[in-house]
Amino acid sequence: MHIPDGFIAPVVYLPAYAVAAGAWAYAVRRVQASLDENTLPFLAVMTAAAFVLMMVAIPLPGGTTVHAAGIGLLGVLLGVWTTFLSVSLVLLLQALLFGAGGITALPVNALAMGLAGGASAWLAFTGLRGWNGRVALFTAGAVSVLVPALLIALALGIQPLVAHAPDGTPRFFPFGLSVTLPAVLLPHLIVAIGEGILTVIAYRYLAALRAPRAA
Amino acid sequence: MRLERHAYLDRAALLCYLATVVALTSVHDLRVLGAALALTLAVAGGGALGLMRRVVLAVGPFCLVVSVSYAVLTIPSGQFSGGYLVLVNLRVAVLTSLTFLVMERVNLARALGFSRGLLYVVTLATSQALTLRRVVEDYRLALKGRTLVRLGLRDRYRHSAASAARLLAKGLHQSGEIALAMRARGFFDDTSSR
Repeated sequence: MHIPDGFIAPVVYLPAYAVAAGAWAYAVRRVQASLDENTLPFLAVMTAAAFVLMMVAIPLPGGTTVHAAGIGLLGVLLGVWTTFLSVSLVLLLQALLFGAGGITALPVNALAMGLAGGASAWLAFTGLRGWNGRVALFTAGAVSVLVPALLIALALGIQPLVAHAPDGTPRFFPFGLSVTLPAVLLPHLIVAIGEGILTVIAYRYLAALRAPRAA
Repeated sequence: MRLERHAYLDRAALLCYLATVVALTSVHDLRVLGAALALTLAVAGGGALGLMRRVVLAVGPFCLVVSVSYAVLTIPSGQFSGGYLVLVNLRVAVLTSLTFLVMERVNLARALGFSRGLLYVVTLATSQALTLRRVVEDYRLALKGRTLVRLGLRDRYRHSAASAARLLAKGLHQSGEIALAMRARGFFDDTSSR
């Protein structure tokens, strides 16, 4: 789902940085209210865990695998703002150290995956857990993949509209919404099912381990 | 004093890098982007080949998919532009190689040293990520070493979920341990620490 540098136009990533900066400042303030000698290491280690969680393989029928994002699980366990900060830091480290996702794509990726993904997972979980815990966890995992995928498809799909040469030739990502929406969303439907199942089983393992949870 | 000077230089280099990234995404002239790539490789010197190899591994698959899809979708309708493909791939190559080069030369920890809290989180997260990555790899190899036949989908899901849960549980445990260790060393007694 990561977008490398060079495919997002400044007219999109600069405003996205402005929005993300506001969201980061708010998230830091929210988390900082409880930022002490326990929560500071907690944030650092959860960031590391989120980083490595993205290496865990989700098996797909047919023998192939895709990588988990773990955002559903993080959203359910850590809440929206800690998830947003953790995922943003992960994306920053991935962009700077491994070239996975770029520095220009960082605000788009962070807002889509960290904020929208974490918030949608948390909302789905809190909204549905009174009805059925498993369905709530599955939905949290699934929407944490689908909502960011939708937003990233939109961000990519508007590139030919907002940045093109006078003759209409694209300058950044070349495909419009008619291509990006199905191309990004359809494969992610399968990933979402895998992420949903992973979230249910992983949460149950954690519950069995009686791990403390920070909401 | 010397350390402080290095920190300023690292921060200045980081800011220059960010400004250059914005400038390079605002330029659509192949000659400028080509010159920027040549300059980046010249600065990399003997490491230029290794740098390009890292760039190809990091962004090659994404660029290849986009380029091939673009050609397949636009050639039949006559809208294909070879110039666009060169432009976008060149820009991605310049930006990614520049990022790798700057990260090789700039001490990120020193550059982020203006905030002790941020420096602490980034340093700890990076070191813990390496430890936790080894844990996941150990689990993967342990499963591989203990199974003779290919596992079914259900078992592979259980293994992935157990790895993810164990990772989070270990993270939660380690954060408590680290907090105690930092407290014992007086890190949180310094009010200017955040």
